[in-house]
Amino acid sequence: MELFAQTLLNGVLMAGVYALVATGLALSLGVVGIVNFAHGEFLMLGAYLSYLLFAFRGVDPLLSLGLAFLAAFLVGALTYHGLIRPVLKAPELNQMLLTFGLSVFLQNLALLLFGADTRVVAPPYQAATLALGPFFLGAVPLGAFLLSLALLLLLQLFLTRSRLGLAVRAVAQNRLAPGLLGIEAEAVYLLAFGLSAALAGVAGVMLSVMLYASPTVGFLFTLKSFAIVALAGLGNLKGVIPAALVLALAEALVSTYVPGGGGLVEAVFFLVLFLALVGRVWRAA
Amino acid sequence: MRGVFAFLLLFALLPFLPLGVWRAFLLDVGLFVLLFTALALSWDLVARTGQLSLAHGAFFGLGAYGTGLLLPHVGTLPALALGALLAGLGALLLGSVTLRLHGLYFAIASLAFSEVLRTLALKLPFTGGPIGLPVPPPFGGSWPLASYYLAFAVLLLAVGLSLWAEKSPFRLAQAACRQSEAVARVLGVRVVRVKLLSLFLGSLVAGLSGGVYAMKALFLSPYEAFSLARAVEALVIPIFGGLYTTLGPLLGGVVLVGLEQALRLWIQEGYLVVYGALLVLAILFLPKGLLGLLGGRRG
Amino acid sequence: MKKLLVGLALMVGSALAQTQLKVGVILPLSGPSAVAGKAALNGIQLAADEANAGGKVRLELVVVDDGTDPSKAVPAFTKLMTVDRVDIVIGGLASGVTFALSGPVKQYRPLFLAIGAASSVVEQAFEGYPLFFHYHPWDYHNVAAALQFFQYLNREHGAKKVAILYEDGPFGSAGIKVYQEQLKKLGYEVQAEPYKTGSGQFTPILTRFRAFRPDILYWIGYDVDALPIAAQTRQVGLRPKLIYGAPPSWPVGFEKNPLSQDVVGMTAWLPTLTNLESRRFVEAYRKKYGEVTEEYMAPMGYVIVKSLALAVERAGSADKNRIAEALASLTMDTPFGPLSFKPSDTGKTRYQGFGPEIWLQIQYIQGTRRPVFPKEKASVPLRYPGEYYLR
Repeated sequence: MELFAQTLLNGVLMAGVYALVATGLALSLGVVGIVNFAHGEFLMLGAYLSYLLFAFRGVDPLLSLGLAFLAAFLVGALTYHGLIRPVLKAPELNQMLLTFGLSVFLQNLALLLFGADTRVVAPPYQAATLALGPFFLGAVPLGAFLLSLALLLLLQLFLTRSRLGLAVRAVAQNRLAPGLLGIEAEAVYLLAFGLSAALAGVAGVMLSVMLYASPTVGFLFTLKSFAIVALAGLGNLKGVIPAALVLALAEALVSTYVPGGGGLVEAVFFLVLFLALVGRVWRAA
Repeated sequence: MRGVFAFLLLFALLPFLPLGVWRAFLLDVGLFVLLFTALALSWDLVARTGQLSLAHGAFFGLGAYGTGLLLPHVGTLPALALGALLAGLGALLLGSVTLRLHGLYFAIASLAFSEVLRTLALKLPFTGGPIGLPVPPPFGGSWPLASYYLAFAVLLLAVGLSLWAEKSPFRLAQAACRQSEAVARVLGVRVVRVKLLSLFLGSLVAGLSGGVYAMKALFLSPYEAFSLARAVEALVIPIFGGLYTTLGPLLGGVVLVGLEQALRLWIQEGYLVVYGALLVLAILFLPKGLLGLLGGRRG
Repeated sequence: MKKLLVGLALMVGSALAQTQLKVGVILPLSGPSAVAGKAALNGIQLAADEANAGGKVRLELVVVDDGTDPSKAVPAFTKLMTVDRVDIVIGGLASGVTFALSGPVKQYRPLFLAIGAASSVVEQAFEGYPLFFHYHPWDYHNVAAALQFFQYLNREHGAKKVAILYEDGPFGSAGIKVYQEQLKKLGYEVQAEPYKTGSGQFTPILTRFRAFRPDILYWIGYDVDALPIAAQTRQVGLRPKLIYGAPPSWPVGFEKNPLSQDVVGMTAWLPTLTNLESRRFVEAYRKKYGEVTEEYMAPMGYVIVKSLALAVERAGSADKNRIAEALASLTMDTPFGPLSFKPSDTGKTRYQGFGPEIWLQIQYIQGTRRPVFPKEKASVPLRYPGEYYLR
């Protein structure tokens, strides 16, 4: 029983970061309507920023979080303006190829600049653990979880209370009506894409401590984010958190209870997704 | 059409051209161009119905493993055929369950399918697992150009299929599915059947492509055979070259695969940075792909 | 005057005796094994420069990238053989790629000097090929070296339970069955679990191991797994007496991380080793590249070219068969210890270079790596239990 509870706990903590990255993707997909294969590269940006600041200036990752948010937002906004805007009207496949090319470009640029070695940010509290009765919680994963939750809550408030936020939601719900919103459409797209990058960047800082910074660290998360967004339903921002939970818990349960589960985790992830998508089809039919 | 024939002729005669010292190297590169272009054509076939498949890596892998496992027991050609059939089976399985899904959902479902298969290849005892599966050469190695001409045959098949789909009434059925399913149904098009048939035929070609690859590489591992990179390459080539045509993927395949090899030789480190940048620039300035540059029409 | 004439004669003589040789080098300079590949290339170039400076041979290197991918390696190798027309090839770092190259190698028949490729699948592929020199130990050598260490831990420190975490790719899975059998024979209780390398998620598996209370936590994977395992072991409250890892290389800066304290690993070489050849190599490397490398593939590449140069000098010719003969009977001192070629334990490789004797166990102590086993090579005694147990 204790093992079960601990497993659930581990899964929930992981779900926080997944939800953060996936929400970013949901924003760019649902609002701007673009399939961004390079989403994970914004994460990588945040991770490397955190590493560089820590290694060369001794800046604690907690401070880098804010910087990464801003930097990633900026890069996202620039990317939107320079690369995405020209192809917004182009066929979906063209957009995908563009973002894919961007992903290859960024990953290999990082490879060229930093090498293939993984870099880790190691603040003194990296291995700190909290013991709650018979349960153990890593301090960093817990912090990451709480922070993700806080950010997502802020996002939710923004989307429901502020005028710009409402505009974003309106565009997400009906992209064919930007004309009705006037000039704001452009601002909305820029904002949404920038935000999506910023969320990924913040997650990158967390991962630089929990995992590592490397040129390919973003790719795995891009895949998982796509899966989570598909599970939640395109354009459904609220569904991202439950979807992330389902997948993270499935991963944790399989790892713990299935013999040899450690190697099956990814397959399980995708199997659950596959079944969920199929289930959706049959329910709709 | 003339462009297509020109390409085919070039590849058919490649081993006989006076290439000097570069002959063996160019034949190797040419072989991979043939295989990956065939794979790209098989993807394009499915894309014409509006389905974005990320499962072509899986079909390639199924063909590769099927051929690799059966080759020591049956001959070269039967093994290839059976490998392709295995891929086809996978397509039927995937298609019957997921073809009602649209756009990105289908793409992700096909991706999920691919990953599950890769894990199976990794875990099942008879596949050689993570260490990999050695594969004998075609026809017992008696004919050195065997794998080259097998690859050529696969491309020929892919081109034939693609041309048939373009020139026959099937083209309208596919285009209808792609542009609006509701309208297609009203017009009497059996949407699901068209999609399933396209997926099935495409997977057969992809499977054959994988089978020949196995016989050339002489070694298979789940990471290479079912690689996501290959599935993505299969879609990058047609988009870059010109979608929904036969000449487009041919052009795209030769340019991209050849370019990648050339860049690796001449730039060495960092060549992928250039590759990625070229892709981005191509989309920004050549939205219709290479064919657009040549004044071609997009189906 | 006499001295001048003698000097001149010697110079002329040595110039006439200089043998020119074009050598192909095929290594992973991109892809997953790029770090090891580049280190190897650095070592190779360093040795080539030294050989050329010596004047007796003139080595010209032709370098191609195999991309850690058979579909890239085969055309690159074909180019070396047909366009550059080399007779000697140094390569074969990643096992899968080397396996794929075995066919073309047997077709074009160069003198093939393998720098890596530990998997015994490769040994089988090259069986019977007469011009194959395998420098690196085979995977069964690696396992033997690790088992020696496990035996020592069992006999002298009373370790009885070992939990193994292995990555589910070819690297981690290759020896796992052998490990389990042999460890049981040594008297250990064993639990083994696969995991996906790079996933960074070990808490479920480590939580399960907690109930098993192992004395030793042994993990076989890649550098990316080192830190998450060290951190999450503590986070789930698992307290083994020893954390022992066997990645091909460790993450950059791991020793500076306090979590590395008392972690033990197996490596073929350390830049701090005291033998003469190793110190010479480190100095020369530092002079040319301005840094000290931790990758053992660098001295390995260095050794290959040094031995090749020596063999060419002895053979006095650029003919691959004569060079092979000279190489076969050669012995020399290297940063790893003495090198000579003998048939491998299984008999399938005629010219096997290094064996289990080059492996040593190192422990991270206060930010440095110290050899702790075997006792002849140890600079300090092993700290068992490690501080992760004592805290």
